[in-house]
Amino acid sequence: MRTFPARVDPHFDIEEYDPEADLMALNMGPQHPSTHGVFRIKLFLDGETIVKAVGYPGYLHRGVEKLCEKLTYVQITPIFDKHDYVAPMTNEQAVNMAFEKLLGLEVPMRARVLRTILAELQRIASHLLWLGTFTLDIGGTIGGGASLMMYTFREREMILDLFEMLTGCRFHYNTHSPGGNRHDIPEGWETAVKAVLDAIEPRLDEYDALCDNDIFLVRTKDIGVLPPDLALELGQTGPVLRGSGIDHDLRRDAPYHAYDLVNVKVAVDDGCDCLARYRVRVAEMRESLRLVRELLTMIPGGPIIGSKPIKSLVQFKAAKGQVYVGIETPRGELGTYLIGGGDQRGAAPYRLKIRPPSLHAVAAVEYLLPGHMLSDVVTVLGSLDPIMGEVDR
Amino acid sequence: MSIYEQLRERFDLPEEPPEGEPVVIPVDQHVAFATALKEAGFTLYVTVCAAHFPSVQPKAKKGEEPPPMTTEAWEVATVLRSVGTGSETFAWRVRVERPVVPTLYSLFAGADWQEREQYDLVGVVFENHPDMRRLMMPEDWDGHPLRKDYAIDTRVAPWR
Amino acid sequence: MAVDEGPRNYEHPAYDYLEQMPGLSLAMTTVDKVLEWSATNSLWIFPMATSCCAIEFITAAASRVDIDQIGSVVRPTPRHCDVMIVAGTITVKMAPRVKKLWEQMPEPKWCIAMGSCAISGDFYRDIYSVVPGIDTVVPVDVYIPGCPPNPDQVLLGLQRLQDKIRSQRDGVSTEPETRPETAKMILPANKRVGDPDRDPLLTDAQHDASRNLGVGTNTDRAKDARPIGAITEDEAANVRGTVDDK
Ligand code: SF4
Repeated sequence: MRTFPARVDPHFDIEEYDPEADLMALNMGPQHPSTHGVFRIKLFLDGETIVKAVGYPGYLHRGVEKLCEKLTYVQITPIFDKHDYVAPMTNEQAVNMAFEKLLGLEVPMRARVLRTILAELQRIASHLLWLGTFTLDIGGTIGGGASLMMYTFREREMILDLFEMLTGCRFHYNTHSPGGNRHDIPEGWETAVKAVLDAIEPRLDEYDALCDNDIFLVRTKDIGVLPPDLALELGQTGPVLRGSGIDHDLRRDAPYHAYDLVNVKVAVDDGCDCLARYRVRVAEMRESLRLVRELLTMIPGGPIIGSKPIKSLVQFKAAKGQVYVGIETPRGELGTYLIGGGDQRGAAPYRLKIRPPSLHAVAAVEYLLPGHMLSDVVTVLGSLDPIMGEVDR
Repeated sequence: MSIYEQLRERFDLPEEPPEGEPVVIPVDQHVAFATALKEAGFTLYVTVCAAHFPSVQPKAKKGEEPPPMTTEAWEVATVLRSVGTGSETFAWRVRVERPVVPTLYSLFAGADWQEREQYDLVGVVFENHPDMRRLMMPEDWDGHPLRKDYAIDTRVAPWR
Repeated sequence: MAVDEGPRNYEHPAYDYLEQMPGLSLAMTTVDKVLEWSATNSLWIFPMATSCCAIEFITAAASRVDIDQIGSVVRPTPRHCDVMIVAGTITVKMAPRVKKLWEQMPEPKWCIAMGSCAISGDFYRDIYSVVPGIDTVVPVDVYIPGCPPNPDQVLLGLQRLQDKIRSQRDGVSTEPETRPETAKMILPANKRVGDPDRDPLLTDAQHDASRNLGVGTNTDRAKDARPIGAITEDEAANVRGTVDDK
């Protein structure tokens, strides 16, 4: 049984710290290249060791939840593209599944399989971007970290090209809608997907070679150790939770889309440190490649959007009730808590709360950083893979 | 025995779970309810969602006296999840007329930032939370933007 | 091996200055031209990268588009850089920081607004926490439209900035246009809260809608429901003033 160091109290009073110590308060961010956006951490240092860390999010708070209260359900999808801008596909799916549950809409099988494929492709693209920026954080632009980023962006562009073929957009797709998808699979798309998968697969082996690099190991092994019980209590999900040795993945445990047709193998690593999170993500990329291959063979015919396209808003106006739907995005469980407006509100939701996996991930820095050196901040923050658009919304 | 039936033995819940929305429990049972769920295996903290219900004039039926104004209220919904194969969520709400709800921080450390966010945006105070500061807006911000009486069309002052 | 001194089959601006002399080539030019050449071809970029546009900006700096080809390097510190690219939404919490970082950049400096959020606030324009356009905080030289702009548009934007710097050095004025029609177009068609010209009925109607009453109006609440954070009348006059002055 592995023992973990005692849990730190993030709210302890820094005034009570050893008065003899040479304390220094250091502000990191909000404009710092390795905070992955605009995140601010206030660090209290004793020498070069961190004794307390306080996180300050909110520098990108765009008021999405308020904005959703004035838009109709159909208008909300493009807004949702924008808050986790590294994985817009899965964001759209999260919110549209909540609408479908509220309204009781059926999604045709073809759209379900297509959504699964898109989600898995998006997972690969998102993890590739993470890998590039993570090594950039560790290595620095001058130190050679940028070279891996150039490679991962090469592969990411291939996947974005696939999405562009399907939807016409590189980035903010707006391709899901309540009850199905807007864009049907164009001719030749499956062949293009297969070609991209074949191109990416051998390159993943090259990325595995990072584990042979001593510098990489020294910088990630036993850094940012997150014990399993703390991970659960903090509400971690996705690769962060699985990197702490907990076997939990909504794709397998509470299947949605077409995940019940395939057999998802969940990558778990009980290292609990930054290296474990890296391993989990690389293994997930392989698994996603396999899943896409398998799903491509089982795309059924038929319509892509429900038989009753939403022509009038009457259907929405009647929608009442409160639902919660969570799906597994590349970063973890992205949930939508939705309070339907009923007839009082017209066609807009009364209240829409997003449950962002990244918010929980960055909240963990207050527990992970104390005891580490200053240079480990970027490693720990990078390994949690926060997207500030999603943290702040 | 389903989790709802287990809970019904200890708390006075309606016979059947309500259709399409989470069950409402009294606010003084909130923490005990969460504790019971955590013991029953719902160990993953998912989310908390506070909503503001202003006092409104309900629609009058034709030719009748308009009904009285509703009272202002806040609803706080909490969602927990069980981990592993067959994972499911459980959600419940509390409805209060004063925006004060006990915190779940001592049970779930993940509630820390989520509850601060709800305080910031909706103005529900979580009692006994160790650090009830604003999370998203600047510290000196006025008002709670997600309240229904906070207008949507509010452009900020120019900065130049 | 002797250098091939024959006529070159490609053109580069740098070769304009080469004078052929027996035995060596000599560059003769003016200080101005050197300054212009160096300023336009080594634009170091300070990425004020906040949200989605930042990802497209990184893509522009990565393998496929590669802005290094025009001599631009991304340096994440303001003190090294010439151009600030604002890529993403700027919120009220972030705006003072943007201004501070802008002031830390040494002259000469330029600013590029990338994406509709930086230009005008995009659809978050009317939201309580978003700055409606970065040009209300710092002066902007080049706007790159799009949500998000394609990475190659970033390259194009930088080239437009190069053109602008060249013409500035050549003495061509690059002041913003002052035609009153343009200024009128900049103002929102629908008058904003706090603007003295705004129809009060519109404000009331919007407050009602936003407070989700829909049926019946609770006038008491409407009275205290002043939009917090909306611009005051003085400030509104100021905004209109600056636009008209231009
Ligand atoms: S312009 Fe569009 S892509 Fe760019 S930051 Fe704004 S929402 Fe994101």
